[in-house]
Amino acid sequence: MSIGIKNRSTYALWPLAAQWLLGIAALTALTVVCFRLQANSTTVALLYLIVIVLISLRISFVPAAFIALIAYVCLDYFFTAPLFTLGLNQTLDFVAPVAYVTTALVITWLMSRVRKSIEKQQLAEEALRRSQAEMAHVTRVMTMAELAASIAHEINQPLSAIVNNGSACLRWLASDPPNVSEASEAAKEIVRDGNRASEIIKRIRALLRKTETRKVALDINQTIQEVVLLIANEAASKRVTVHMDLGPGLPRVLGDRVQLQQVVLNLVLNGVEAITSVSDHPRDLFIRSSEQSEGVLVTVRDTGVGLDHKDVEKIFDAFYTTKSQGLGMGLAISRSILEDHGGQLWAVPNDGPGTTFQFTLLKYE
Amino acid sequence: MSKKILPDSSALVFVVDDDDSVRKSLRNLIRSAHLQVETFASAQEFLAAPRVDVPSCLVLDVRMPGLNGLELQKRLAEIEIDIPIVFITAHGDVPTSVRAMKAGAAEFLIKPFKDGDLLEAIDQAIERDRLARQQKAQLTDLRSRYESLTPRERQVMDLVVSGLLNKQIAFELGTSEVTIKVHRGQVMTKMRASSLADLVRMSEKLSMSTTRNP
Repeated sequence: MSIGIKNRSTYALWPLAAQWLLGIAALTALTVVCFRLQANSTTVALLYLIVIVLISLRISFVPAAFIALIAYVCLDYFFTAPLFTLGLNQTLDFVAPVAYVTTALVITWLMSRVRKSIEKQQLAEEALRRSQAEMAHVTRVMTMAELAASIAHEINQPLSAIVNNGSACLRWLASDPPNVSEASEAAKEIVRDGNRASEIIKRIRALLRKTETRKVALDINQTIQEVVLLIANEAASKRVTVHMDLGPGLPRVLGDRVQLQQVVLNLVLNGVEAITSVSDHPRDLFIRSSEQSEGVLVTVRDTGVGLDHKDVEKIFDAFYTTKSQGLGMGLAISRSILEDHGGQLWAVPNDGPGTTFQFTLLKYE
Repeated sequence: MSKKILPDSSALVFVVDDDDSVRKSLRNLIRSAHLQVETFASAQEFLAAPRVDVPSCLVLDVRMPGLNGLELQKRLAEIEIDIPIVFITAHGDVPTSVRAMKAGAAEFLIKPFKDGDLLEAIDQAIERDRLARQQKAQLTDLRSRYESLTPRERQVMDLVVSGLLNKQIAFELGTSEVTIKVHRGQVMTKMRASSLADLVRMSEKLSMSTTRNP
């Protein structure tokens, strides 16, 4: 499936031929049955009307009117005397076509209105859901960026103090004669600053732990589809085609919905970005899910700029980034989320262009 | 404003940074370069401290609670305290550094920096301040000498440096050449000018400073 085209509302757009066939088949069947039973014309007229009502519920304006007329012709030809001729001899010959056509038109018109309002409602619901999801994403990214900036500032202070004190210490030792007491004062400060830095890291860890996870049984395919829906615009605007090959009947996994969305979103956005940064490769992103002995394996393969073999582990380090605008937190956080779920996340350079990211999740039992 | 007159070699470095450990480390580093240093935890503290009349510079953190670095720079300009500023910051964003440099900062360093970079910036800033101070002191001295002249002596001095002879000046002021000679001698002594050329130079400096700071 290529995203951007969704199979929404197929029921409303039957191919025209199928509509005709259905109508004619229903009429033929009714005509044959009634003719064999030698039903009287009024009964048949009412039965035709029922068929027209039922058909009109499902098909559109013009074919409905035609089928109503055909029904009238059948009625006149097979069931009203004189048989096997067409002619306006009885009251029924005038009333039936008008009643059939009017019924068909009124019902198709009502149905089209009902369909339109349902569709409108669905669109509105989807738009709402989408904007909510986007909001959640933006908030998450904002919080991440702010968090990273404040961590960077907090850690940078004791670090620069360590650098200053280290320089001072060296200068005291290098002076002639060496000023050992001043040097050791500076060294003591270094120890203090180092402890302070590790205090800060402890505090941040405690802070991050507070965001509790809620693990439930969930369908990873659904999570993937939600994320792909979310980035559909982004991918389309960058001319990247997202291919999904989601294994049917996968076991449910144990996981936090928001966190796993974050992981998939991160991998998919990374893939799209990697593809965008090259111009001569095919612009495809493949997402696969399949069953494994202990759970589920998800693969995100891009045809983008690719990775060196030596970078394959480095990219999971915090603050390591190959992007000019990146914070280098995405993959580090994704990996820690998966490890917290008892799963794993790793990267493999493709034989061709691009990189493949894979992660595993445990089965819910 | 209390003035401590210290020998010229005793330069003083002021440090304003709200972070305890950074402040202490800067004190250590600057002391290790055999410079005197005074530290302050906020801009307000620095503003409240007595001024000292020695070559000095200010090492100033950009991001601080209360008055931040750039605001302190502006405040100092407003109250006409002319001290070279070396900015230090953890986030070297371009707009901030451009603003700081445009407002006359001596240097803009990003933490953590090399000790050499900071100490060199401090040295240059102090040298700049030392020169500015020398020029300012010379000018103040010159002004007080000029102010010790009588109104008639100032008239004579202005005409002398404009190139008139004693005779012409006497005619101009409606007096005798001998009187002008006496006035002229007084001017040379009071201004401590060794020659006419010297006096002309002094006059130029005075008029330049008056047109620059009216």
